[in-house]
Amino acid sequence: MPAIEVIGLRKTYRRAFRRQGHEALRGVDLSVPQGSAFGLIGPNGAGKTTFIKSILGIVQPSEGAVKVLGGSPEDPRIRARIGYLPERLHLPGSWSSPAFLATVARLKGLTPDKAANLRLLERVGLADALGRRIGGYSKGMRQRLGLAAALLGNPELLILDEPTDGIDPIGRVEVRRILQEEVQRGTTLFLNSHLLAETERVCDRIAILAEGKVLREGRLEELSRGGSRWVVRFAPGADAGALASAGFTAAGSEGVYHVEASDAAGLNAALDKARTAGALLVELKRDGQDLEAVLASAMGVAA
Amino acid sequence: MQRRRGLWLVFAVVLFGLAAWLMLSGQGEVEVAPPPTVAFPKRLRPEERQRMESRRTYVMPTVDSGTAADPKPLKPTDPVLAALPRGKGKTAMVIEANAIRHSPLGELLLECMMRRGGDDLERFKKETGVDPLKDLDRLVITDEGLIVSGNFGDKKLKDLLSGRGSTNYDYGDGARIFEPTFERNLSDGGTVRRDGPRVGLWNDQMLVFGRSPDGVKQVIDRVEGRGPDEPPVISESSTYGEMYGVVSVEQLKKMFPPDQQELALKLAEVAENVELHVDARSDFAMTAQVKGSNADKVTDLGKSLGGALSLARMRAQAEGEKELAQLLDFAKVNPDGEEFRLELAVPLEVIKEQLAFCREQRDSTASQDAKPQEAQPTP
Amino acid sequence: MSGVLGIAGYVLREAAARKFILAFLLGVTGVLVTLSLSLRIEVVDGALAASRLFGEVMDTNILAVDVALRPIFMAAAAIVFYGGILFGIVSCSDFAPSLLSPGRIEHLLALPLRRWHILAGTFLGVMTLAVCAALYGSLGLVLIFGVKTGYWTVGPIISALLACVSFAAVYAVMLTTATVIRSAALCAALGGLTMVAGIIAGYRAKIAPFIEEGLSRELFKAVTLLLPRLSSLAQASMDLAASAPLGVQSLSMLLAGVLVFGLGMLAVGFWWFEGRDY
Repeated sequence: MPAIEVIGLRKTYRRAFRRQGHEALRGVDLSVPQGSAFGLIGPNGAGKTTFIKSILGIVQPSEGAVKVLGGSPEDPRIRARIGYLPERLHLPGSWSSPAFLATVARLKGLTPDKAANLRLLERVGLADALGRRIGGYSKGMRQRLGLAAALLGNPELLILDEPTDGIDPIGRVEVRRILQEEVQRGTTLFLNSHLLAETERVCDRIAILAEGKVLREGRLEELSRGGSRWVVRFAPGADAGALASAGFTAAGSEGVYHVEASDAAGLNAALDKARTAGALLVELKRDGQDLEAVLASAMGVAA
Repeated sequence: MQRRRGLWLVFAVVLFGLAAWLMLSGQGEVEVAPPPTVAFPKRLRPEERQRMESRRTYVMPTVDSGTAADPKPLKPTDPVLAALPRGKGKTAMVIEANAIRHSPLGELLLECMMRRGGDDLERFKKETGVDPLKDLDRLVITDEGLIVSGNFGDKKLKDLLSGRGSTNYDYGDGARIFEPTFERNLSDGGTVRRDGPRVGLWNDQMLVFGRSPDGVKQVIDRVEGRGPDEPPVISESSTYGEMYGVVSVEQLKKMFPPDQQELALKLAEVAENVELHVDARSDFAMTAQVKGSNADKVTDLGKSLGGALSLARMRAQAEGEKELAQLLDFAKVNPDGEEFRLELAVPLEVIKEQLAFCREQRDSTASQDAKPQEAQPTP
Repeated sequence: MSGVLGIAGYVLREAAARKFILAFLLGVTGVLVTLSLSLRIEVVDGALAASRLFGEVMDTNILAVDVALRPIFMAAAAIVFYGGILFGIVSCSDFAPSLLSPGRIEHLLALPLRRWHILAGTFLGVMTLAVCAALYGSLGLVLIFGVKTGYWTVGPIISALLACVSFAAVYAVMLTTATVIRSAALCAALGGLTMVAGIIAGYRAKIAPFIEEGLSRELFKAVTLLLPRLSSLAQASMDLAASAPLGVQSLSMLLAGVLVFGLGMLAVGFWWFEGRDY
């Protein structure tokens, strides 16, 4: 059973007294398997936040079916098993973080457990700021507190809207670690991030959303794989003609060549040809697209 | 979800309906009748102002001593006001017969009088030629006697007054003084002579009754400008109400019941004069202005009076005297520096009830007082 | 149900953290202290002077003081009633809009709470604040009167409670307004408007004859039929304070009606909130 299943989701925001509404989602079909780390990427205004709000019941779809954890997001019991970190989380400035966590825990219907809250705060790296008011926290600290609140009660599904927004690189490493721990525990992760590098590192499945529709969706490796192309770099002084006859095409940068090889035997045969021609191999790697290239190509813009 | 949501709206409509019904029944459509308000006489009303101005008919003759270089023309004055006593400590109450006649109170009184002595009235009219219903304008009661203004030109009156062996002579510019004596035939054949009141008739429009000829002459002197220079006790601006006037403190003391002497003494000590005004256009409403020289004492007196009134009301309510309680409901004391104003009202209904006896007793005893109960500080 | 209480607790905690409760305490205490120091009860002097004047020991001592103090109690009841509602409108106008602000409302809506729990909890939290402030203020007044005049009365407390019920109706309107347009100023304005409309509705039988016969009068009567009769409640509280006979037929029904109006308004807010996108 997929954690999130969306069929034909449409959402049009209508303003009063205006005929034409803004179509945020134009028929989205998506399925997020349980236990996966799913990333939603896309340009601004693609409808990512609307999508997330739709699967949480914050926004009601104009059309389509939404199923979360096997039930409707309108059902409070389903929402009790979801942890959510909103994009612009507002935290009450005059409270302390343990107080905030305690209140959220209470609202989630959990039994009060101060010790567990403290452990959670430690986990997200806020152990030093327990006594301070939230109003004095930095952006990064607020994000971590929001994450802690989402993690309360060990939810089965974590929905995070820009989880590492504002956090410094070291902090991001920690957050990534926490998220990976959760995935290992079996929690389904659904996140929405502009930081493509982060998304690459955390998620194993990606969907690209643009202009209210899913353009591409699938496992990360499949999407970013360029096929059977390899990138090789030879030491300066290699014979270009000999390399060309061995099947290597120049890649543009000094000494960098591409070669097509469908399997290991073909690759090694080509490499042997190059080496007998006198070229010295310095670097070899598969030619994969990074996420930005995937996104750009999906959007139809030249990389 | 939409259906679930729609339920709230249905619920809301039901609740609004329930609320409207509850509030409607809770409030009750029939409003409790508002307590009757009474208009207290506090200043000249427009019609009273007109009345006052129209009475300035008489120009006093000036005594030309020949010293004034350019004698100023005298403004016309109201002769009845000029007739009033002068100075402090005097009492004068003016009753506007015309105004009372046309008020519900006056009608009641008239009814009473007619029922008791309708024929007497007719006889009076025949003998004197004066129709009390038409010819009387004002009645002034002072410590010295009575002054009546109106239309007294009828010859029958003069004949009545000059007949029966009384002396009469002219006095002043326009007055004639009569000193009638009355004879009565006794059963044994003899006659008894008795001096009647001294009467002055001035200009066919004012009758002055006094105990002595000098008293009457004094009044005529005041009217014709030969009186003292002090202003009359009632000024023109105080002529509002259907009854108005000044009561001296001595008289007021006499009006207090014996168990209130302490309050009376206090009043005598503090007050300089007491001005009364009565409005009888609908209900009987009276205001009494008490002026004194010492502001603190006056305020203290006002407070005591106010306290006494509220206590009296409490007692009346506790003892079940509804009418008294009702009367005192309208009693109020308003302090104002060197004077305070006491307001008292008697609803018309109460007066009607009091005068109901009129209808029952056709042959009433002569000592019955036809006037309505004067509002007095009550125990 | 626990969701409602949870949100109510959230609101109260918020109020405490925003120094709201402190502000209430200071404000009400300040007014009470000022009143206590500056009140000179002249009427008492007059009635007591009269009692001294007569020189007798009065059995109806208290009664006399009671009568003398009636106008003051009535004035106090009126001030507590109307002043309390106005104060509540101004001070509580911001709670709902801030709770419904972006970032906060999404977080709340994602929690396992029914949507109407959120509104109901806010209402409950604010009403708790209002009732506590009202009781504190009125108890203070009772103390002041008792100490100053020796006469103890529950008039101000009853007036405060009646005012709370009226405020419930007014706040329900404010809360519903916040769900439609998230603006503290608009909420306060509509709260004030509701209060004025409630005052007019209370006097509808007296005002109706002054309106032109025909459609306008019928419209006026129809509209005021539904509105809460706030001035009737105010008058009832004044009558109770002065131990005068009540002008209304049944105070409990009137009270229930105003409360049910508030609940109806809340239901409208729930209906709107359930369909609203955030």
